[in-house]
Amino acid sequence: MQTVLVSDLKSFLDAVAKQMELYVPKKTGAHYIYNRYDPSADEPVELNNIRTCTPVKEFLFPLCELAAIYPESSEPKDIKQFAVFGLKDCDLRSLEILDKVFAEEEFEDPFYVSRREKMFIISSDCFEPADSCFCNILNGNPFARDGFDLNVSQVMDRFIIEVGSQKGKDFVDKNPGLFTETTGVLLADRDKNRAETQNQLEQNNADLKFDAPVNEIVENSQDSDVYDEEATTCVECQACTRVCPTCHCFYLYDTKQKDYFAKMKMWDSCMRLAYTEVAGGANPRKALGDRLRHRFMHKFSYFLERYGIEMCVGCGRCVDAEAGEVDIRKVLKKLYEELKGKGRTKAEVAK
Amino acid sequence: MNQNLYQPINGGIVDIIDESPTIKSFVVVMEETFKFETGQFVELTLPGEGEAPFTPSSSPSDTKKMEITIMKVGHVTDLLHKCEKGQKVGIRGPYGNGYPINDFLGKEVYIVGGGVGLAPIRSLFLTLVERISDFKSVVCRFGAKTPSDFIYKNTLFGDWQKIEGVDIKLTVDQADGNWNDNVGVVTTILQPDDVNIPNAVAVVCGPPIMMKFATLKLLEFGFGAEQIYLSMEKNMSCGVGKCGHCMIGKYYVCKDGPVFTYDQIKGYPNIWD
Repeated sequence: MQTVLVSDLKSFLDAVAKQMELYVPKKTGAHYIYNRYDPSADEPVELNNIRTCTPVKEFLFPLCELAAIYPESSEPKDIKQFAVFGLKDCDLRSLEILDKVFAEEEFEDPFYVSRREKMFIISSDCFEPADSCFCNILNGNPFARDGFDLNVSQVMDRFIIEVGSQKGKDFVDKNPGLFTETTGVLLADRDKNRAETQNQLEQNNADLKFDAPVNEIVENSQDSDVYDEEATTCVECQACTRVCPTCHCFYLYDTKQKDYFAKMKMWDSCMRLAYTEVAGGANPRKALGDRLRHRFMHKFSYFLERYGIEMCVGCGRCVDAEAGEVDIRKVLKKLYEELKGKGRTKAEVAK
Repeated sequence: MNQNLYQPINGGIVDIIDESPTIKSFVVVMEETFKFETGQFVELTLPGEGEAPFTPSSSPSDTKKMEITIMKVGHVTDLLHKCEKGQKVGIRGPYGNGYPINDFLGKEVYIVGGGVGLAPIRSLFLTLVERISDFKSVVCRFGAKTPSDFIYKNTLFGDWQKIEGVDIKLTVDQADGNWNDNVGVVTTILQPDDVNIPNAVAVVCGPPIMMKFATLKLLEFGFGAEQIYLSMEKNMSCGVGKCGHCMIGKYYVCKDGPVFTYDQIKGYPNIWD
């Protein structure tokens, strides 16, 4: 793919912001969150080492949004082009997952799809992965290979911009003054940085090496008591599902306004007790352990069977957000060890 | 902008029929053509209050109006029971799969129902009797708590019993002075020779506990799990397999159901709860 070089990140972002609304990561406490970029602000531009705390789904599927107005329907306002800078490979893979649900041919969610079409994606390589990052266990990487319009990799004091789409190419072509040519030496440096980050991830997660695919571990542990044991350490804060970039459950509710009625769409969580309750009172997942089991089965088995990919990107946001003690990595490890402890060989586990 | 999945079609309630102390049927007319297949469900919106999933109880061949039979059990249904003729409503759908009528052709259709579960069954029953000669027979075993809890009393106790090719037996958990028929839960009136099992399909709809024991009884009689069709009630909300509330294992009840064979869902936990 085409690569160009930028020596000053601020001029690059200013050029993006001239064309569209731009959101950039800003460090707040220990984490990054997205803020609207202000070219006039006298602040250094930050390249985030890892994913932001808040999930990228917020841009496409907001916490709460208007889903319909009735009895007179109204045309939703036009969505303008916007850009998000600093997305990581895990974020891009979460978009691939959300696309399966919301952009599926038969039942397309018009709000998600129109925002997705207007989103300009500027991803960047990870460096210094967090303790909670475990994307390498789920086929992820600390840098993006596809799914972006432009990707930024820092090499010493300069930035390699890789073009990943026609939209990205158009931007580069329109701003010739911004870019210079990359060199083989710099590209080799980028590859070296990437390999170092990858190595660090491998080291951080050395104890998560399983000799069976994660989906098979989870499928073979459907009846495991591990979920019930783990549930005793869950405080039902639902933070895991809120910060998860792939969780997409929502709740529809109706409101009365002065001149019309509205249907609203709001994030929901499968960890919530009343989530599966019907009006008559029946509830198939009253027990917290059953809700946890369903969350894991959905992520690693059901979604994979339906859409061909797992519904977890190993970003570790749920680990950071957890108010109780449920750690998705530790649960997977416990399930794996339980299967091994039952005397199942590699071949049997993999069945 | 593409067609909005979440936009209801406007309609109104043109008639309300008292079926039992807790159940009413609402006759709804939509402002746009609205078609469904028997067994599919709709999301009925009470403006500004909320929406809830119901399987229409009328025949899909009546394209002018639709009947929806509703038990008073929660916020939206309590308010619906207070509504009068002329009330505006919204409808989204129809959603999910209906009963696979074509797979029933030439067979004995054995229908086991209870309580408000007779609502989807009525739609199926009307669909079957419209072309009764296409099926070997329609054998119904229905139960209710008390005689007054039976819905569709006029036709159930009258005309439906006279249709050639139809065999109906009824039971109540508790009789009253005027009841001379069976007493006991619905499984007590199921007999192994009610139908010729190799050439039959069973359809079960009712309260979860009834569905569980009826299914177990049918299996005991020799029905295969793939011959038993269940109309599942879960917390369907979006209707299009996205919001997640209605999932049973890998299935979205709203999109992959609400009609499942027992074979499809038997391996998943807590299906009857």
